[in-house]
Amino acid sequence: MAGTEASLGRDARERRIPAGVTTPGSVRLEYKRFNAFHRWMHFFTMTSFTVLVFTGMPLKYKDTGWAQFSMDLIGGVQTAGILHRLAALVTVFYFVCELGYLAWYVIVRRGPLWGPGTITPGKKDWEDIKGMFRWFLGRGPHPKFDRFTYWEKFDFWSLAGGTVIIGATGFMMWFPVQTTKLLPGIFLNIAIVVHSSEALLAVGVIFIFVHFFSAHLKPGTFPMDKVIFDGSLPVGHYAEERPVEYERRVAAGTLEQVLVEPWEGAKGAVATVIWWAITAIALGGAFGFGVFLVWVTLHWIGVI
Amino acid sequence: MTRLRRILAFGLAVALAALLAWVMLPSSAFAQASDQNGRCLACHQRTDLGSTVVEGRATTLTIDTDAWGHSMHSRLDCTSCHLGFKAATHTPAETQGWLQTAKLDACANCHAREFTMYRGSFHGKLVMRAGSGAPACADCHGSHAILNVTTAQFRRSILDMCGRCHGGRSSTYLDMYHGKAFKLGDTKAAVCTDCHGAHKILPACDPASLVSKQNIGGTCAGCHPGANANFATYEVHIDPSSPRSSFVVWLFYATYVLLISVVFTFGAVHSVLYFYRGRKEGMYHRGRH
Repeated sequence: MAGTEASLGRDARERRIPAGVTTPGSVRLEYKRFNAFHRWMHFFTMTSFTVLVFTGMPLKYKDTGWAQFSMDLIGGVQTAGILHRLAALVTVFYFVCELGYLAWYVIVRRGPLWGPGTITPGKKDWEDIKGMFRWFLGRGPHPKFDRFTYWEKFDFWSLAGGTVIIGATGFMMWFPVQTTKLLPGIFLNIAIVVHSSEALLAVGVIFIFVHFFSAHLKPGTFPMDKVIFDGSLPVGHYAEERPVEYERRVAAGTLEQVLVEPWEGAKGAVATVIWWAITAIALGGAFGFGVFLVWVTLHWIGVI
Repeated sequence: MTRLRRILAFGLAVALAALLAWVMLPSSAFAQASDQNGRCLACHQRTDLGSTVVEGRATTLTIDTDAWGHSMHSRLDCTSCHLGFKAATHTPAETQGWLQTAKLDACANCHAREFTMYRGSFHGKLVMRAGSGAPACADCHGSHAILNVTTAQFRRSILDMCGRCHGGRSSTYLDMYHGKAFKLGDTKAAVCTDCHGAHKILPACDPASLVSKQNIGGTCAGCHPGANANFATYEVHIDPSSPRSSFVVWLFYATYVLLISVVFTFGAVHSVLYFYRGRKEGMYHRGRH
């Protein structure tokens, strides 16, 4: 299934594989899942989101010891406020970039907005959810996924929607005087409630139930799915994880467009160290958030 | 060379002496007050003096000279506040009404402007009514350990001070912007007295109040330049989890509680089942390939 030198994808050529050296036998080509744009967007999302959570959450749980400890660690409420706003600007930056990408995708590339292979939820996702629950209970085969699974679509759209909501309320709170030139003051009360609740929802979705689980703890993925960092994965893995898209490409004869040479040597070694570091942080974060949820639930029902 | 060394040695000695004086200052400042204080402390520094009942509570007769030495009043005579007290076992005639004198009346001798404002305030009018519990000067500023009101230590104490009587208001305050920042140690965040005033506190229904309909916009604008009347309709005292506090805000709160519960529950069930099936199929051991 590996491509010949004549049919290597654009990316493989960009990585300067000398003609004649690259043969199917000497280079194990990988399936390219994410391009550099998507990987950078994920990087900005990941870093800004983490800063926003650690500088914002202490305010929501102001009465706890860990909130005070975190604030002292960051350097006080004022410093946390500055870092929070800087990370918010990074969020605005990647959101605008994503909108630009969408415009390019629609106008220049004329890509499909819905249907197979797109990130738009469809009827198949509902069938997949039902199929997964049947599989969980041992009453059916594992569903065959297309390019994006239903949890990835949920992950993406909840983040996109969440960014709009939390961004709008965040800017209302950042500029209260300007906001109340247009809106009654009660909107500032609503903004703080919505901002902090949406934040808890986002942290739950990202840190544990959807994103960390699917990217780190899921069967077949543990300890970490690295594809968003290096962009490609072995073709066999992809064929197993996303058979619908794989087979569509095979049938259409477009598989070779997405075959690239994997990172190897020093670059690969550095990347591996970074991946493990991120995995450790992610597992620590997921564990910490798990403990936090148990605490918050017990606190809520009044046991502690 | 020896000359230089002598100058250096002299400079060092002076610096050391200055440092020593600076370190000793708080307690030595106390000794600098007039001799009269020494006569008071001859008894009131003793730890076996016992206690007396002040406002229904047993209060020690021993003076905490350390706290007093650090206070703004460390250079005053004891009798500046304890008016008419003599250096002997105090007679009933002498101690008659001492509490009101020390907590309230004596303050006016130096702080006439603040005292006049306080007299016209809600607390000032109420304080003379027996059993009202309204605060006199010392109830907010302290008695022997009087702090500079601009210090972080004093500002941090304001919320609890007001909360002694206005507990409900201080807890709702903590749920919104200023309160959250204040609670986590931001002493620049507005606290009770920044909006309600310190000495001239009046109910919001009084037009002269800082938080009256007429004045509240200006009060907000003190920190938020350009704040208009709309800005001031923001509710500082709201409990989002109570529909009686503000129904609209509660509606958003309740919607999110529901949404979070549904999403987290679904996510937890999905993850646990996925984990269970994955273990059973041996997917964690097999790896991907």
